[in-house]
Amino acid sequence: MTWSKGGTICFFFLNRKAGKESRVSVLRTSLGPSPLNSSQAILSSNTTLFHCKNQLQQKCNAFKRKPSVFLGENQYQEVIMDTQEQELEDIELFQKHVSDRFTELSSPPEDDALLSVSWLHRLLDVFLCCEAEFEAILIMDRDPSQLSKPPFDRLIPEFIERAVKALDICNAVANGVDSVRHCQKLSEIVISALDQNPLGDGHAKRAKKALLMLLSAMNLDDKEGTHVKATERSWSFGRRGVNKEQIAGHFRSLSWQVAKNWSSAKQIQSMIYNLVAPRGAEASGLPSPIYTMNVIMIFVMWALVAAIPCQERNGLPTHFPVPKQLNWAHSLIGLQEKIADEWKKKEKKGMSGLLDELQKMEKLAQSLIDFTDSFHFPGDAEKVKEAAANVSELKEIFGRMDQGLTPLQMHIREVFHRIVRSRTEFLDVLEKGSAPVV
Amino acid sequence: MDECQSAIPAHDGDLHVVAAAHHIVKALGTTKNLSDDLRKILIDLDAHLSLITSNIDSKGGKGFVEVEERLKRVERKIVIWESDRIMIWDSGPKEVSDYLEAVDEVQTLIDSLRGLSMNENQKQKELLHRASSLLQMAMSRLEEELIHMLVKHKQQSEPTYMPSPSSQRNVVYSESVVSLDNESAKEASSKSSRSDECGEYIVDLVPEHVIPDIKSIAKVMFASDYGQEFCEAFIGVRKEALEQHFDILENGKLSIEDVLKMEWCSLSTEMNKWTWSMKIIFRVYLMSEKRLCDQVLGEFGSVNSFCFLEIAKTTILCLLNFGEAIAMGPQEPEKLLRLLDMYETLADLVLDIDALFSEDGGSFVRLEFHKLLEGLADSVKAAFNTFRVAVSSNGSLYPFPGGGVHPLSKYVMNYISMFPDYSSTLNLLLEDQHSDVASLVSEPQCGPTASLSTSCPMACHLRSITSSLESNLHKKSKLYKDEALQHIFLMNNLHYMVQKVKGSELRPFFGDEWIRKHNAKFQQHEMNYERVTWSSVVLLLKDDNPGSSSLSKSAFKEKCKGFSIAFEEVYKNQTSWCIPDPQLREDLRISTSLKVVHAYRTFLGRNPAHVDDKCIKHTVEDVEKLLLDLFEGSPRSLRNSRRMMKT
Repeated sequence: MTWSKGGTICFFFLNRKAGKESRVSVLRTSLGPSPLNSSQAILSSNTTLFHCKNQLQQKCNAFKRKPSVFLGENQYQEVIMDTQEQELEDIELFQKHVSDRFTELSSPPEDDALLSVSWLHRLLDVFLCCEAEFEAILIMDRDPSQLSKPPFDRLIPEFIERAVKALDICNAVANGVDSVRHCQKLSEIVISALDQNPLGDGHAKRAKKALLMLLSAMNLDDKEGTHVKATERSWSFGRRGVNKEQIAGHFRSLSWQVAKNWSSAKQIQSMIYNLVAPRGAEASGLPSPIYTMNVIMIFVMWALVAAIPCQERNGLPTHFPVPKQLNWAHSLIGLQEKIADEWKKKEKKGMSGLLDELQKMEKLAQSLIDFTDSFHFPGDAEKVKEAAANVSELKEIFGRMDQGLTPLQMHIREVFHRIVRSRTEFLDVLEKGSAPVV
Repeated sequence: MDECQSAIPAHDGDLHVVAAAHHIVKALGTTKNLSDDLRKILIDLDAHLSLITSNIDSKGGKGFVEVEERLKRVERKIVIWESDRIMIWDSGPKEVSDYLEAVDEVQTLIDSLRGLSMNENQKQKELLHRASSLLQMAMSRLEEELIHMLVKHKQQSEPTYMPSPSSQRNVVYSESVVSLDNESAKEASSKSSRSDECGEYIVDLVPEHVIPDIKSIAKVMFASDYGQEFCEAFIGVRKEALEQHFDILENGKLSIEDVLKMEWCSLSTEMNKWTWSMKIIFRVYLMSEKRLCDQVLGEFGSVNSFCFLEIAKTTILCLLNFGEAIAMGPQEPEKLLRLLDMYETLADLVLDIDALFSEDGGSFVRLEFHKLLEGLADSVKAAFNTFRVAVSSNGSLYPFPGGGVHPLSKYVMNYISMFPDYSSTLNLLLEDQHSDVASLVSEPQCGPTASLSTSCPMACHLRSITSSLESNLHKKSKLYKDEALQHIFLMNNLHYMVQKVKGSELRPFFGDEWIRKHNAKFQQHEMNYERVTWSSVVLLLKDDNPGSSSLSKSAFKEKCKGFSIAFEEVYKNQTSWCIPDPQLREDLRISTSLKVVHAYRTFLGRNPAHVDDKCIKHTVEDVEKLLLDLFEGSPRSLRNSRRMMKT
């Protein structure tokens, strides 16, 4: 898989304690022996992740037995005590992993800028890893009836509802990646127009036309109503516009897959709505990982919407409350603030996504437009040189997009399918839990 | 060194050569086949020309004069259109071929100028610059011509002969098993037409005669390295056209959240639309689009499949999205038929999808639709199971009035009578769930000796559903306090089931053995009814001491009275009972009549001395007539009917 270049990082911890294995460590052991470096294993491919998920499921099935069958009353009590203790440990471990993963995300390596394509890949991996562990804690080896009692009879359906909203966001974002790819295609024209020696007026004109299309594709992404459709344009300008310089070619109409009034910003808002951190006794029990997973899901979807052009992002929240005292949330809050700052800056200027490559591409396109505007053969040598540098930078970004965008789309689809599957699993548990005992 | 001299000709000579060359070009334009001689001459000429160019190269600036002249001439041809408001392709074939020729010429000039080594020759650079500006102008123009052409012709090619979705089966089966007790189930209309009406309708999305024009533009643009612009324009217009067609099919663009929250009635409509749109989009539009892409871009390699994918993607993902939302939704029993439609449609299309997106870039489309097919298969199975569960668990608090055919029986029998249409699919999908059901329904049909149609997975599942229905009906029958009514209820419902099986395509799946068995069952209930209701009544008329010839008057009177009270009681009760099937009602009356009237007549006949009006409340004829009022579902009291008889 080409995209794993950025490093798909997944930690699986081994929690050995006098013959006890936590649910999380089952994940680990199921992968067989692997060199552990301070209790971390780095799994760097999607397939492995999938594999481990499968094994997890098998383990889940294997674990579905009641201990009481073989044990006396006293021993049973002990087991229950043990299980509770074990559960707390698992939760703690899960939150530690979450914390570690987000710390890793917030200090990306040099070539892996925040909100770049490869960073998004890592973000999605974090989601997949957290989700797998979360499911293990909540579902594996658990009596379904426990999850249909309060407060879970409220928390889990709420989680499932958020998951459905996340699915729609996945679709919108995957569609948004297509519009980024469109930009990438247009940048290819710019590159092939300007990558010439000697550079002529014709080349500059060709580049300018593509650049104008590129910029409008970047900036007209959110509001469907504002861009002119190819058909209308060709008729409304008649055979030729008065000033044909201004015709930035036809715009590819960006079509969304859902109803026009669907808004990704509202979707995020409704995911945030009603999200309350568990308090009191709940704060240390199972409700806490549910809350954690909710926050992770919202954060990931929010970051995707911020990064990738996506239907109606006006009014995208820049903040959602996560209590600062939760130690696993530190890095996540840090990331949230950084992205929110970027978003606020961007909101004032225009609306192409925060995707690092897209932003860079926009800047380059701006300066190249200035260049092509003023260019007259043979052109100022200094400026031509500068433009050539811009073009080579654009080429580099093009290359990164070319490598990363299609896999990113696949990765988003993978997250989509994962959420679907986990939703089904939770629904099953709820159904089993609420079914009358026969 | 003759050639060398002619390379720098006098101005006049130059013009002659140009005129001659023009002639040649023109002549070549109209000639399709080159004769061998002509070919030889042209090859010679080519050799001459290359020699000349190499001379230009060696001699420096002066030789560019001729190139410049050529450039000036094509410049005029290309620039002249810049101020013109008429499209070239609307002007006529001559204009078109002139323009294309001019563009070719520019390209040739650029190629030959580039072919020269670039030794800081200012003139050469300038010419190249002018030529590439000219090329850009022409390409920009061609792009516009292309868009104009595609847009103009797109609108004329609306296929109007397509069958409309209304001719499809549009049955909305809006009832659910859950809400049955209150309303009676509607008779489900059967699917109107199951055949694939749309078949393969490849249409001309762009009129046939326009294709060579589009192709000629493609050729020139690709040759000049403007392929990306061509694709950009082509994709833009075609994509929009496809989306317009998709909009015409009235598919609501729904989010997953919308679909999951939708009411069953609208959801059913949307599911129907999806089934329809899938066929139209893939079989008609995408097939046609693919052909158009092949025609226009066939010779440009992978660009072809890239463009096709870009054009199709959004529309396809819309369809995929809805399918996925359905597959993840709760699978209520009423969804089963719509799910089967969706599954069958996709199963039918999946090979086409594989063929349309056979290239690497389309692999995710293939993959996602295969996944969706699996998802829909699971949904069908899940819905089938919830249907079965619903059939056996549908409970009632109160007995169904009159003991007639229960809505559950109607719903279930009508619903399953549509299954034979889907038998091959159901057999496929229910296969792996076959064994447990087969053991569940221990009927001879499932044994090894059974015929194929009665032993297929669907047949076994059908019988398991009807046996669940039977046991549920038994449960429901216990709600009646009157044992006779329990039998009437079971007789009615079992009879209904048998009739439904016999009169529909269900018959081969149930087999004659099942029918025989169930005939026997309802007849048993019929007999039980008679026994429970009438045995005691008839017993009243029985001769206590068969030795003596006749009864005493008082004993006779007593018996008569007893009989009429019992009879009136039955009459009062059972006129409100209901046997909806007229034949069954008739049969039961006849056999009751035989039993009761016969006993009554014999009784009266044995005691002729006592027979007078005062003591006999009902004559034999009265009884015979009154029996006809039973099971009509309208309660009567006997006083009422007597008065009627007397008048």
